[in-house]
Amino acid sequence: MHKISRIGAALIIPLLLPACADQRILEELGTVHTTSYDLLPEEEGKSSKELLITMTIPKNDPENRKVREEILTTTSINSKGGRIRLSRKTELSLVSGQLRNVLFGSRLAKEGIWPLMDTFQRDPSISQRLKITVVDGSAHDLVTEKYPPHPMTGPYIERMLEKQEKSKMSAEATLYDFTRDYYDDGIDPIAPIVKKQGGNVVMEGIALFNEDRYMTKIPADEVLIFGFLQGDFRQGELSMDFGESANKEANNAMFTSLISKRKIKVFANRSRDDITVNVSVQIKGSVLEYNGKMDLSIDQDRRKLERLISEQITDKANDMISKMQKNNVDSLGLGQYVRNSMSYGRWKKLNWEEVYPHVRVHCKATMVIKDYGKFK
Amino acid sequence: MMEKLHPFHVSIMIYMNQSGVIALILPRLFASNYGYNGWLSLAFFFAVSILNIYLISLVYHYGQGRSIFEILEASLPKFFLFPLYVLLAALWTLIGCFAAKQFVFIFQMLDFPTTHPMLLKLLLDILAFSLVIKGIYSISKATTVFFWLFVWMHLLVIYFFGEFQWVRLTSFVFQGETDFVQGGFDIYSAFLGLEIALLLLPYAEKNKKLTRAVYIGNLMSVLAYLVVSVISFGVYSLEQLKRQQYPVLDLLSYIKLPFIERMENLLFAFILFPVLVSVVLYTWASVLALKRIAPKADTNWLAFAALAFSFGAAWVPDVISEVEMLLKYFSYAEEGIAFGLPLLLIIVLLFQRKGHTHA
Repeated sequence: MHKISRIGAALIIPLLLPACADQRILEELGTVHTTSYDLLPEEEGKSSKELLITMTIPKNDPENRKVREEILTTTSINSKGGRIRLSRKTELSLVSGQLRNVLFGSRLAKEGIWPLMDTFQRDPSISQRLKITVVDGSAHDLVTEKYPPHPMTGPYIERMLEKQEKSKMSAEATLYDFTRDYYDDGIDPIAPIVKKQGGNVVMEGIALFNEDRYMTKIPADEVLIFGFLQGDFRQGELSMDFGESANKEANNAMFTSLISKRKIKVFANRSRDDITVNVSVQIKGSVLEYNGKMDLSIDQDRRKLERLISEQITDKANDMISKMQKNNVDSLGLGQYVRNSMSYGRWKKLNWEEVYPHVRVHCKATMVIKDYGKFK
Repeated sequence: MMEKLHPFHVSIMIYMNQSGVIALILPRLFASNYGYNGWLSLAFFFAVSILNIYLISLVYHYGQGRSIFEILEASLPKFFLFPLYVLLAALWTLIGCFAAKQFVFIFQMLDFPTTHPMLLKLLLDILAFSLVIKGIYSISKATTVFFWLFVWMHLLVIYFFGEFQWVRLTSFVFQGETDFVQGGFDIYSAFLGLEIALLLLPYAEKNKKLTRAVYIGNLMSVLAYLVVSVISFGVYSLEQLKRQQYPVLDLLSYIKLPFIERMENLLFAFILFPVLVSVVLYTWASVLALKRIAPKADTNWLAFAALAFSFGAAWVPDVISEVEMLLKYFSYAEEGIAFGLPLLLIIVLLFQRKGHTHA
């Protein structure tokens, strides 16, 4: 017994003692929550491009019993250099351990963000769950703007993105996701894109990257279609508007509790460029709202509605894939499936980035109405 | 009579001695040296480790309960053996020393950037000393406690089932940039630790049970390596995996629970247990070797001398890349010992048998 307690005491000592040397007192730390990067207009005579760096730091204000947000801005040619400059402006020691979101202005994102991502990878204090977000316009303006119902801009944007991700209205893009897809030769990274609109920050859609350069975006109201194509998911809501051109049998419908399954099949013939990719999507959902002449309690009518919706999703999905091919962004990771359908030698010979825009991709969506609510 | 080691404790000691910082690096070693689906090569290394244990079991079989030192001393002259013992003692001490220093450097990088690494190393050595002087039976008991404190971490892989995608594993096998030979030596260092079984014979129950226990301990390590590697290959892309210094540490940093996240700082501290076991067992082994040279010396003082030497040697490498390089070269040497020593013993034993039958 004596022995065990002695060993136990000896075990605890090394865990406790070093804490005396590396002290970090909470009140003295500036835990950066959100960082934004923008590209400054190029100045003559300067060789490298300067960045506008902004950081938000939540601060406790015990006197007024509330939490404030301190915003610091500086210019620098790199990220950590910016942090050193910013630390001159505050009494706190800036630390990145609680960094949750990093925003890139669209101009910088178009030039490529990888040089900035290096420090996020290298710094052991930065989480793999750090969110990567693109801002349509200036990220600095978005972060420094006051949004009266939301006293803390950083957490406001972070929570908004998280909620959107959960309902599949946005794509998940953490440091881990982005790096993984950046290094994979069969897929390109994505990130949510937000915008300042009125007194709010709104979700603009999904930014699609070619390697680290932002090329194009999926608009917010088509994000769910992207979600169908991207992979399996459960949860999400879909609203379909059949417009004036469609027959009067259905005007609009809204589905909930979506369960979507995606399958990808690749047909790669021996000849080099002849690759066909079939994407099939199966969606199940419950009708929550429907306006039209059909009676959903009749099987035939329900099949008709299913067909109408399937056709519309198929068309939208095929348009979206064409857009991605035109911009040479393989955000769905079709390359991964093509890669797995052939030998290593053939994949290496095949220049996927060159071939991708010309690959035949067919998407077929099938909608199944699981139930139509408690009303006939 | 001295208490004997139970096979269960032997399995755990072998497993804990093999695990350590290497488990954090292993997926990268597979990716860099064996390319796509490099984790499949684990089957080959498993086979090699089985061969390694088989050689040790032959020593058990022919040695009939004698310690390796008794076997050697019965046939070989002391002027040949003493330098060998010194060499073994130095190698074992230094492997433990650099494994500990590597752990300390990573721990320092994560949690204590300005604390002097040698302070942390000193604390680890004090712990090791207090265990080594208690003898192998107490070491085995303590190792069992450490095992339970460490092994639960493997359950964390469940967390990654959501991120895991088969498509990322690709259909290629061992393609891309590869270095089978040197990479093989690097990867086999993850299996080092099983050779300590050579020294356990006089302290354990029956031969057969001991051999089986070593096989089981080794199998436990292989399973742990397999799970971690497959998960890493399915969660990361190959190029990413090649660039990650400690891929498993990055995996740990991805875990987020409702009440806590960024747990890698906390979880890494648990790697202290297998590292400590490695330091303790290798120091214990070197004390055994030293004891043969100076049989009258006090065991406690020998342990102190070995750890003091280890502490002194740990001052030499100043940066993490130096430690990793030294650890790599010492591991190569230890791989030679892991195969060479049992082979030498078998040859000696065969000669002894021959001599015996002739007589």
